[in-house]
Amino acid sequence: MATCAVYTTPSLHSCFITSPAKTSLGFHQRQVIFFTSRRLTKRGGGSAPEVSCSAEAKTVVIGLAADSGCGKSTFMRRLTSVFGGAAEPPKGGNPDSNTLISDTTTVICLDDYHSLDRTGRKEKGVTALDPRANDFDLMYEQVKALKDGVAVDKPIYNHVTGLLDPPELIRPPKILVIEGLHPMFDPRVRELLDFSIYLDISNEVKFAWKIQRDMAERGHSLESIKASIEARKPDFDAYIDPQKQHADAVIEVLPTQLIPGDNEGKVLRVRLIMKEGLKHFSPVYLFDEGSTISWIPCGRKLTCSYPGIKFAYAPDTYYNNEVSVLEMDGQFDRLDELIYVESHLSDLSTKFYGEVTQQMLKHSDFPGSNNGTGLFQTIVGLKIRDLYEQIGAERAAAVAEAAKV
Amino acid sequence: MATATAGVSTSARGVVSSKAELPKPQLSKGMLRLPWASGRRASSRRLVLVASSPSTPPNISEKVVESIKKAEETCAEDAASGECAAAWDEVEELSAAASHARDKLKASDPLEEYCKDNPETDECRTYED
Repeated sequence: MATCAVYTTPSLHSCFITSPAKTSLGFHQRQVIFFTSRRLTKRGGGSAPEVSCSAEAKTVVIGLAADSGCGKSTFMRRLTSVFGGAAEPPKGGNPDSNTLISDTTTVICLDDYHSLDRTGRKEKGVTALDPRANDFDLMYEQVKALKDGVAVDKPIYNHVTGLLDPPELIRPPKILVIEGLHPMFDPRVRELLDFSIYLDISNEVKFAWKIQRDMAERGHSLESIKASIEARKPDFDAYIDPQKQHADAVIEVLPTQLIPGDNEGKVLRVRLIMKEGLKHFSPVYLFDEGSTISWIPCGRKLTCSYPGIKFAYAPDTYYNNEVSVLEMDGQFDRLDELIYVESHLSDLSTKFYGEVTQQMLKHSDFPGSNNGTGLFQTIVGLKIRDLYEQIGAERAAAVAEAAKV
Repeated sequence: MATATAGVSTSARGVVSSKAELPKPQLSKGMLRLPWASGRRASSRRLVLVASSPSTPPNISEKVVESIKKAEETCAEDAASGECAAAWDEVEELSAAASHARDKLKASDPLEEYCKDNPETDECRTYED
């Protein structure tokens, strides 16, 4: 599909081919269409082939591994907000669709690639975490197609009924985010990802959050919540957890060290583990890149209330990879704490001073807006925007080079 | 907030099902502060009912209860089997769906919904100077 971009250099505008277009490159374009339509009909999708080959619009694919469900998570909302616009479920489609679409971003839930529905899984005695319950071939095919600018008919997994619903049409967006349990499990899919994130919640915090979520629910008790976590743990440790080592960024959420014996999970210690040496990603740092820093911003210039804020930054190794770790423990109470912290962090990829604070304030009602989870999710969002712009500029330059030849 | 609502809902459990029909939950949000400020206990009960977080739609709630019962039964037979894990996985999936449904209910403001689809109408025009 790279040929498509190169040959359309005379006009760097998007070219939407639904039928052989009358340009000087007619021959090559027709070839592309045949290839596309053959692929689509093989999957049984009857929609007309849509090939958008625009030099700057080859999709950037981001993978997010998270246990919390699909598309509606806070991380997704923060991410799509950094790019502008709110992400909505597709209008007029299945109301139980897991997909979110905004102007620039489309978020796909990987649960849609379950090969077994809820009854099927019960019969076979497998959890959704088990790779046997997922169709990785289809996942790879469709993510590859979207990355190459081809629309796909993606199945829908209905979380309410537990059944696989008829497919919905997904058009290739500028940024495709695949969120779910196994974005980095299959090596072929891993290759397609331009950036990957793993959200690592520690067991204590997970337990505390699930209690908050489920205790108000009729039928649940402390024992049932505990049993549910325990029963899923073996599969989680075997199949989901190992994806950590492949992630470009890991957000680790741990209980706080500032309050001894705290088990409410309200004050959190969050670590942003960033891989070094990546092409389009430069880690955030504190004061001096590559050194070890411990920083408590509260003091003479800034007054914080209990339990305060503590930062740490250090280089480290994580599963045999060189990483930089930025850590925040504690809570933000006021706007000036946030802006103070932002002014001391470096390489945030912001476009103007105070952008991180502004993004955090925009969503002050989201969970995690007063601690490291919100802060690091926002920073990762800005890093992804930076990555997207760098890749776009690179491609545009490559295309311009080819035009000169 | 969650712990507060847990406390409230236990006392209001009997009336949870009728909460969905209570009109204009938005109005009461503003009035929420009154009972504490003025110390009027008479009206506080009605307001306290609405103050708890939106209830899960009944069909999902039913499913969660059923799945928990089934999981407990399956695991009573054989706690280490794949069926037991699958049953609790189902509970987790349904609890997550219930939580999303609650959030959706909480977030729906009729004016915002209307304006999303019709931004040009008089009620929805915004001015940014």
